[in-house]
This record gives sequence, structure tokens and C-alpha cells, in this order.
Amino acid sequence: MLELRGVSRHFGGVKAVERLDLNVAEGEIFGLIGPNGSGKSTTVNVIAGLFEASGGQILFKGRNLDGLPTHRRLQLGIARTFQNIRLFGQLTVWQNLWVAQNAPEDRARRGFLSRWLGGRGGARAEMAGLLEFSGLAHKRDELAANLAFGEQRRLELARALAAKPKLLLLDEPAAGMNSEEIGQLRDRILKLRAQGMTVLLIEHVMELVMGVTDRIAVLNFGQKIAEGTPREIQNDPGVRKAYLGGA
Amino acid sequence: MLDFLQAVSDGVLFGTTYALIGIGFTLVFGVMHKLNLAYAATSIGGAYAGLLIFQVWAGAPAWAVFFCAFLGGGVLGWVVYVTCFHFIPLSNPLAPLMATVGMLLLIDEVIVHATAGMPQNYPAMFDDVMLRAGEFTLRGDLLLVGGVSVLCMIVLLALLYRTRLGLATRAVSQQPVAAQLCGIRVGQVNAMTFVITGLLGGIAGALIGASVGALSPLLTAPLTVKGLIVTVIGGLGSIPGAILAGLLVGGFENLFQLYRGVTERDLYVMLLLFAFLVFRPGGLLGPKGGHD
Amino acid sequence: MDFYYGLAQTVGVHTLLGLSAYIVLLTGQVTLAQAGFFAIGAYTAGMLTVLAGWHLVPAIGAGALTGAATACAVGFPALRVKGLMLVVATLAFGEGVRLFFFNFDYQVAKGEIKVGPVGGEGFRQIRFFQENGWTTGEVMLFIWAFVILVMAALWWFDRSRYGAVLRAVGEDEVAAQSVGVNLTAVKVSAMTVGGAVAGIGGALYAHYTTHIEHANFNVLLATFAIAYPIVGGLSNVFGTLAAVIFVQAFLIEGLRDLGDWRNLLFGALIVLAMNLRPQGLFGGRRA
Repeated sequence: MLELRGVSRHFGGVKAVERLDLNVAEGEIFGLIGPNGSGKSTTVNVIAGLFEASGGQILFKGRNLDGLPTHRRLQLGIARTFQNIRLFGQLTVWQNLWVAQNAPEDRARRGFLSRWLGGRGGARAEMAGLLEFSGLAHKRDELAANLAFGEQRRLELARALAAKPKLLLLDEPAAGMNSEEIGQLRDRILKLRAQGMTVLLIEHVMELVMGVTDRIAVLNFGQKIAEGTPREIQNDPGVRKAYLGGA
Repeated sequence: MLDFLQAVSDGVLFGTTYALIGIGFTLVFGVMHKLNLAYAATSIGGAYAGLLIFQVWAGAPAWAVFFCAFLGGGVLGWVVYVTCFHFIPLSNPLAPLMATVGMLLLIDEVIVHATAGMPQNYPAMFDDVMLRAGEFTLRGDLLLVGGVSVLCMIVLLALLYRTRLGLATRAVSQQPVAAQLCGIRVGQVNAMTFVITGLLGGIAGALIGASVGALSPLLTAPLTVKGLIVTVIGGLGSIPGAILAGLLVGGFENLFQLYRGVTERDLYVMLLLFAFLVFRPGGLLGPKGGHD
Repeated sequence: MDFYYGLAQTVGVHTLLGLSAYIVLLTGQVTLAQAGFFAIGAYTAGMLTVLAGWHLVPAIGAGALTGAATACAVGFPALRVKGLMLVVATLAFGEGVRLFFFNFDYQVAKGEIKVGPVGGEGFRQIRFFQENGWTTGEVMLFIWAFVILVMAALWWFDRSRYGAVLRAVGEDEVAAQSVGVNLTAVKVSAMTVGGAVAGIGGALYAHYTTHIEHANFNVLLATFAIAYPIVGGLSNVFGTLAAVIFVQAFLIEGLRDLGDWRNLLFGALIVLAMNLRPQGLFGGRRA
């Protein structure tokens, strides 16, 4: 579904990501881990289109994403969450989801004709369902800025889902969560996969990564140093060295 | 050809005052990432304050007036800081901007009231001195304007790059939170920035008054616009840029006036700005894509 | 009574000016160009009724259209200019429009006399209302019909998805584009709508004052345009209306006894308002 071929991203002299090859199959939950500064977030930003790749190709469902602006990538089916939550604080929970309804079928529904033909109800029902799924139905009309931290994280995810993506890029969704919350997040991700979602998970919190991913790639200094199943990665000496610095 | 050279040289010399105004805008922007729209008004206000010395010293020489303007500008700069930036939370993007607009109007009106709307004569120095080279003239008073402006720029740059205050200012402009954690009193640095730009503005105002021969509150709006244009052309946040741009705008302005007359002149200055915005939004010496 | 009608006319037209800035401010673009679009609407409509004999209503429509078209044209390069630089760019645009009209002559002979704009002197004898026997009260109602229409339309926008999208863009552009919002379309459309509203306001202005000139559309007017929505708060359209009433009615007229000190107090009041209530009169809570 998502293929990175030799993707690089340089900032002046800094090689944040260097010739990265990645292949995420449809329906897979793929983890991307690595020490701080290894290029994980940069990779997400490049896939999402916020940064241009300095080299290499990104293919989504076989289509080259080169030159496509971020909002068009969303419309193709790639949604992402942010590491430090970027909600629309001055908008309500409901409005945050509403703004994100940009999947092609929703945009078509908003055309003048279909509104007259009564297509609107469907969109509302879907958003209500999303609120239920994220446990936020009771906070529908609350300003996003007033939510508790855990609720904000859930809204961040719900907003990405409102865009009906095929591929979900999660940028450290578990940061700052306690064990119970991590468990809930894990369940939610697995439920999404059961519904056919493909997930690329950037994460530090090993509890989540090891418990939910099918395969993992490890980055260090912008380069991939290992790839495999969670078990293989856990036993890989190179990975240990990267994280802990020496045997 | 001679007219051309004359226009350019006069324009560039006068443009040094635009450079000073531009520096004032750009310095506040660089340090606080905010626009102080009242700046040109404080500059003219300072110039008027300079005239106050005649109340106490009837026959005061020109340099005394300039000095008074210098001080007046500094005081006004501090006042603007307190009324617009000290109490209002800086995270609010629009409120400080609007407050400076309020101060601009306020200062303008105070001037109008104090002078009953009549333009005031402004003393000049060396206005009877003319250096000639054939038909080409360099007005003595304009040379002084240029000279004083250059001196101010040098002093300012020395201040920024050779003193502790300057170091603190540069630190705050780059990383206000980190600067605070290092013990730098950000509020004080910001206030000082306003005072210093105010002092600069006072001199600029006095120099403008001196070279034009008179001061009027009508000068405020065009000076604000021109100062902002200089700031943008030079690159927001870049002092050397503001200097270059000031000279550029001054020179071009006079050329436009020479070839197209006074009424169309300002229109062409706008076009010059738009050309920069389209082709080089970062300005002469700013980053290529422009600042936020 | 005529005095109050006149005041209501001013409040109405200034409300339109403020609303034109309101919608653009929602997207985070601080614009000092609205006075320019206002001027374009004014001159366009004036010229159509005076020189081409049009009825006022289509002339207002034309004013709205020219305002919108210019705003759209400005909207695209405005995208390339960020944050505070946009303030300067729009200010320069507004001044450019003013300077254009300062140099603009277009006169047509009507019978014995020549009518039309004459550069610095301005555009006199825009007498549609007078020639058609409108009373001051009728003019006031006419103006307010437009004000109410525009307010209703913007109120409706605010409650619709478009309003939420505008505010999302104003709050966080990166997040907005990451959830699929087309920033260009949103920002330019907001600017265009603002231009149309300003054009309507300008058209009405030209006809009730009967004489316009470049100096009417100066930097001061441009700052009034954004002052209203900022002081009124960006939560809803009523904030802008309240600010206009507050400024025009209360301040400028109510303090008439203080004569020339009014303008001084206006500046002082803005400073005070921003210090005491930076989020604006109606700001801080969503509608």
C-alpha cells in the first residue's frame, strides 16, 4: 500500500532521513521506532507532504506522490496525527471532526445537488459513530482546548479518522499515556485494523509497539538499521546498541 | 544625466532617515516578532518634543533641538511599550497590533492639539552650506542627515554586537523562553528595545524635520507606510537590510519624482514594494521565502 | 431626526466595512486592504449611476463584483506573504488604490457640465438618491437592508462547515491542510467574499455622501476596518456591529461635547480596550 524507495530528506547539511526503503502492506500495522532524532517524525512529514523529499520516491497504492500537496494526499487516503497534538482548540469537538470530513465521498455529498437530495444525514451519523468509538460523545459541544489530555489525544485520532483514510500515520500517539490508556489505544488500533485500516505507527512506548504491530523497522541517524517482526527486533543486537549505546 | 545623479544623491541622503525608521520597525519585529505600527508616530512625536526646548531656552541652537528630540523619542518609545506590549499577553496576535494603532492615532491627535494643526518650522544645521562640483550640488544639511544617520547605525550595531544588552537582545529574539531560563529579564530587554528604537526614531524625526524645514502631523501616515515598505524590502528582522532598503527607497523615490512628478511618485514606490513581494518576499537580506 | 438617520447610515456602512475584514481575519490573514476594495466599490458604483445612468441596485452589484474580483486577484499573491508582512503588503495595496484614484480623471459631459472623478478633487455630484426623491429615512433603511442581508449571510456561514473551516485555517494551517483543507481555496475565497462586502459598503457610501475623494479611503479607514472586528471580537458578527456602534455612535457622536478631543479619545480607547479585553468585546466564547 505504501512504498518508500530510497527516500531522503536533508535539511541543509543534516541528513534527517537517508535512503529509506519501506514497504507497508495493506491491512498491516507497521511500526517505526528508533532513538530520538533518528528521523521518524521527519519520515511521517515527508509521507504526509509537509516536507518535500530530497530524494527517492513515495508510492501510495502504486501512485507516485511527488508534488502532491498535503491536502490532496489526504483526499487520496493518507491521514496523520501529530506528536504534539494540533487540535483546533477554538472549535468544538464536533467541529474538529466536521472540518476533517474531506474524503472524496464526503466532498461529493456536499455538492449543491446532493444536499437538496438529502445526503446530509449520512455524514452526521458517521461523525456521531466516530465520537462513540472515541468515547467523546458526551463532549460533543465542548471546545477542544478545554478537553483533558487523554480526551485530546482521542480527538486527535478521531479527527484523522473523520477523513476516512486508508492509511493512518500515527506519530507517537501513546506519549504521556498511562498503562490503562495505552491498553485502550491498543484496542482501538486493533479494531481499526479489523475494519481494514493500514497503520504506520511511530512510537517510543515499547509496550504499545510490541503489542500491536505486525512488523517493525528501526531507524538510527536517518537510516534503517533493522526490519522484522517484533520478536526479531527485540533480539536484534544492532537495535539494542542503537538504543542503549554499546553492549 | 546630471539631474539623474542629483536626484539619486539627494534621495539616498534623505533615504538614510527612512533607513532609521526601517531599522526601528525591523528591530522590534526581530526581537518581539511583533509590528509596532506607532513607530513613525513616535518618531515624529519625538521631533516635536525637540521643539519643546524652545519653551525653556528661547534661542536654542539646532543641535539642542535634535538632542531633545532624541530624548523625546526614547520616552515615547517607552510609553508605547508600556501601553501596548507590557500588559497585553503577547500570545494574542491581534491585540498588541491594534493597540499600537490606537497609540498611533493618539500621538497624532496630541500633536494636532498641541500645535493647533499648524505646521511647525524646524531648525536645520548647515542648510546654507553647499558643496559644489560643477552643476552638481550636495546640500550641507542633507550631508549632515546622512552623516548622523550613519553614525546612529554604527552605534546601534555596536550596541547590538558588542554589549551585554545587545547580546541579551539577540538572545531574546532567537529564543525568548530559553533566554528567560538563563536569567535574562525578557520584559526589560523588550522595554529597552523600544527605548533604543525610540531614541533612534527621535533623531530620525528631527533629521526629517530639518531637511524638509517643517514638521506637520500629516507626515505620520506616509512615513509609517514608507518605513514599513523599507522594512519589508530590506527583509523583516534584518538591520543591514533596512539600511540598504532605506537608501534604495530614498533614491528611487526621488527618481520617480524627477521623471513622473510628485503625484505619481508614491504610486511607483508601491509598485517597487509589490515587485519585491512577488519576486523576493524575503527582502534584500532576509531569507528567500520570507519570515512568518 | 435627520441627524439620527445620518448616524445610522454611517453605522451601517461602517458595519459593512468591518464585516468585510471580519471574514478575512477569521482565516488568520490580517488585512489592511479592505479600504481599497471599499474605494473600488465606491468609484465603480458612482461612475455607473452618474456617467452611465444605471439604477443604483445593479450599480451596487457591480461594486460588489469589482470589489470581489480585485480581492480575488490580491488573494493569490497574498498567499505568498506570511504573517505581519501581509499587513504591510495589504497596507501598501490600499495606499496604491488611493494613489490610483488620486491620479484618476474620467469625465463625461452631461449637458453643459462635466461630471466624473477628477484626481485630487474627487468625484462630486453622486446624486442618485437626490435625483430620485429619496428621503434620508428611506436611504437609511435601504442601507440597513443590505447590512442585515450581509450579516445574516455571514452568520449563516459561521454556523456552517465553511465557518468552521475558516477558523480552523486561522488557528492552525498545518493541521488544517493535514486534514484535507485546501488552504488556497479557503484563504482566497474569504478574501473574495470580503472584497464583495467591502464593495457593497463602498457603493452605498458613495451615494449617501454624494462626494468621494481619495483621501476618504486612507490608512485611517483601513485601520478602522480591522479595528471593528478586533475590538468587537471574532466570535460572531454581532461583535463587529457592537464595535461600530460603540465607536461611531457613542464615541464620535456621543462625545461631541468634547469637540476635538474625540479623535484623541478614540485612540486612547482602543489602547485601553486592547489592554483590558484583548479578546474583544464579544470574543473568548464561541457563538
